Amino acid sequence: MNLQTRAILEEQAVHRRLMQFGEHASLATPIWEARDTSVRAIAAHLATLWDPPARLDERGDPLVTEKGLPHARASVLNLIVTVNDDAAADRIVRTLLDLGVRHPSRAIVLVPQHGTANQPLDARISTHCHETDDGDRMCYEEVILTVRGEAADHLSGIVAPLLIHDLPTHVWWPSDPPFNDPVFDQLVEMGDRVLFDSSDFTDLLGGLRRLGSLRHASGIGDLTWERLAWWQELTAQFFDAPRFRRYLPNLSRLLIRYAVPLPDAGMLPGDPNASEPGVPSPMAQALLYAGWIATRLGWRRYRTLQPLQDGAFQLTLEGRHEMIELAIRPEPTAAVRTGELLSVRLRSLGETGAAEFIIDRTGDVAVVATNADGMTALLRRVAMETPREAELLSAQLTDDVVDPIYENALRAAAIILASARESAG
Amino acid sequence: MATRTAEPPSAAVIPPPEAVPSAPHANPLREGLRHERIAEPCTMIICGATGDLTERKLAPALYNCLLDGFLPPEFTGVGFARRQWTDDEFRAHLLAGINKYSRNRPVKPEIWESIAATIEYQQGDFNDPAAYVELAKRLDRIDRDRGTAGNRLFYLAVPPSLYPEIVSHLHHAGLAASGDDRATGGKRGWTRVIVEKPFGYDLESARTLNRVIADVFDEDQVYRIDHYLGKETVQNLSVFRFGNGLFEPIWNRRYIDSVQITVAETVGVEGRGEFYDETGALRDVVQNHGLQLMAMFAMEPPVEFGPEDLRDEKLKVLRAVKPMSPADVATNVIRGQYVSGWVEGERITSYRDAPEVAPDSETDTFVALKLAIDSWRWAGVPFYLRTGKALPSRVTEIAVQFRRAPLALFSRAGVSQVDPNVLAIRVQPDEGILLRFGAKVPGQGLQIRTVNMDFRYGSSFAVDSPDAYETLLVDAMVGDASLFTRADEVERAWEILQPILDAWNTGQGGPLHFYAAGTWGPPAADELLERDGRAWRKP
Repeated sequence: MNLQTRAILEEQAVHRRLMQFGEHASLATPIWEARDTSVRAIAAHLATLWDPPARLDERGDPLVTEKGLPHARASVLNLIVTVNDDAAADRIVRTLLDLGVRHPSRAIVLVPQHGTANQPLDARISTHCHETDDGDRMCYEEVILTVRGEAADHLSGIVAPLLIHDLPTHVWWPSDPPFNDPVFDQLVEMGDRVLFDSSDFTDLLGGLRRLGSLRHASGIGDLTWERLAWWQELTAQFFDAPRFRRYLPNLSRLLIRYAVPLPDAGMLPGDPNASEPGVPSPMAQALLYAGWIATRLGWRRYRTLQPLQDGAFQLTLEGRHEMIELAIRPEPTAAVRTGELLSVRLRSLGETGAAEFIIDRTGDVAVVATNADGMTALLRRVAMETPREAELLSAQLTDDVVDPIYENALRAAAIILASARESAG
Repeated sequence: MATRTAEPPSAAVIPPPEAVPSAPHANPLREGLRHERIAEPCTMIICGATGDLTERKLAPALYNCLLDGFLPPEFTGVGFARRQWTDDEFRAHLLAGINKYSRNRPVKPEIWESIAATIEYQQGDFNDPAAYVELAKRLDRIDRDRGTAGNRLFYLAVPPSLYPEIVSHLHHAGLAASGDDRATGGKRGWTRVIVEKPFGYDLESARTLNRVIADVFDEDQVYRIDHYLGKETVQNLSVFRFGNGLFEPIWNRRYIDSVQITVAETVGVEGRGEFYDETGALRDVVQNHGLQLMAMFAMEPPVEFGPEDLRDEKLKVLRAVKPMSPADVATNVIRGQYVSGWVEGERITSYRDAPEVAPDSETDTFVALKLAIDSWRWAGVPFYLRTGKALPSRVTEIAVQFRRAPLALFSRAGVSQVDPNVLAIRVQPDEGILLRFGAKVPGQGLQIRTVNMDFRYGSSFAVDSPDAYETLLVDAMVGDASLFTRADEVERAWEILQPILDAWNTGQGGPLHFYAAGTWGPPAADELLERDGRAWRKP
């Protein structure tokens, strides 16, 4: 037994003791690390990961008790995450931890490094356990694989033997996905559901179009769509009451404002329509929101476009009863994250009278109000916190069905953006 | 799983959305959102709003519903009680409750300001007709100002003895009728009333109570709250049975030997002496939680998961329970009362020494009974129910014992009969499912040991479950009565238990047994099963 092996065994023993006595809070112990290893060795290690330490009763028989099982654990899903570098891998590890060890039973983080070919495969396996208030212990396994050289072109073959069988597999690209890389198609093929964050797309139009054309059995998840959930809820609430629902057919203007960095923050807002290489477009949320409203309300065709100043633009759409002005405007601010919505205003000017439906965000509070026929009704303040990546991921891991409403909104968002580009060009 | 590439859509036209089923006149923006079930604008009136229930349960539940977006923006809360409070005093009472008991806390001041503006207080004596007239005026004004559209949810957070008075005054003030039955108020909107348990004290009082309520409200307006039914597990029980193909085929007398239902508490009466001494375990737990759990466990699959279908099926189970003769009571029902002992490392004094308990009290703090469900599915399968205070652990579970393997195939190898398989469904505290089966001990020779396969909800879904009251309040606002008890269920449950109460009253029901706090009830309860060749589980 060499020294290194002994060190690892000791570490494992400590880890298992901690597990056994249920230390509070979250335990993250790297327990196995190997350079230049093989898929088979990794799989073999994963298979023994939860072998309980031998506990014997006073007669020397293996101890079996109803409540004293070392790891009572139910498996829920596999999550495959592909990142570009070690820094991104660290961020994902933190997000997974922040997930409160909520969903994945096994998370495999892939760090492909093309080019360099010696030591094709490094692996780091750790387990994370989190104790709930009721004394339940939630655990998951995390496998970080650095794949180099030619092997990086065959990621699916490396991952496949490492998945927990018979569980749904979610494939997530936390940053700009390599849409044109054959490995992308391999992993998409392998997943039951694929997850993206369209706020990370550097080529927003290309990305939206590609998502719109990806058909997947268990659907596509988009963390940006999840970011809109509370805005959608508040918007829908305006029209749950029949007395305000009558304004819906006569909406004539939708103004959406979204956050971009302040000019002095080092990054000029520039023209958010233009895609700058390497910089994600901040407009994804605003476009998906517009696409959602447009498809839900059956707004059809754009007529004219007025490019406004500083990256804002305005389209005219044809509703079922009215023409609708759709305006999307960036607003420099340091108060919220770039790309977050700041304000949504829906105006109705029909025979039913004038009304405006407003959600204005300042920091982590929003003012929600309805102005109908000159009266302000139901003015209220609601919490509006920017969800953490882990919360977004958690919600998207729970919904594992095709969402036609998202897919429609996605296609409409691409069309709105393309229209803005065309006229700007 | 396959991907298919479609042409990118043309840039000029937003295509018509792909067919998303849409109900006519529905809010098109609501469809597909996480909350598809949204309460209509409404006012909730809490009668007895200054009490403990409001502070501990209702205010936190409403606040969490609001944060999660389950309440409509128009939602308005009105407290109605005797105390001379101002709106602000009432709001402070709610805020204190939320900051103390809510799963989300503390409340952000800037948001509370906005919530407080939707809360009012109506002072009034429950026996004063003028108070209800004032209340009616206030509710009409709220309908106008806040757009609550005449929808009203009354919550009777008062002792049942006050129900007749309140219900009758609501009626005379025109506050009880729904929609078209309303004399005034634009004939719009619904009125619903939530009633807390206990639903009566015995069969007769339950019938009287139901009649009092039925004189004023239609049954579809009445929501009897048994918070057990709002727990996630009880809903999981249905998913477990009807969402899996594996269990339902063996859920019958052919495969199941017996069923044990345990609702055990570790605490004694602790300050509830006066109430409990009048009530006892049979009334306090078996009548509602115990029989409801049994009904959910034993019912036939409903045709649909609608409220009436579900409650019809539960009622059928209760109707199939054979009522007992006094002789049956003496043999099949064991009642017990705890004497001093140790529970969870603490000393508990005898029940009779507890404050406000009669020194010669005959009240049951423990009851174990054997019931028979005379239905095609369950004939011959005994259902053993037990509940009690000052027991060794706090646990609610349903345990199914399956029949033994038909042959003792391994007896020649010196192995006696293998223990029967057990499937235990734990409701609380560690919600989950456990399956017990025999396995060979590795090595030469043949030795069989029983092992447990244990699944805990908490270890696969670490999601903050909503409190039962959150689920139930939203259900009542949406008009979904599935998790509420219907009048006929309540009365049938009392019909099952009344012969037991009568036998005890007339001294024919067998003696009161004593058990030390911290034990699983009196030895007579064990004998009840030993007679049948069975034993209680030690959960």
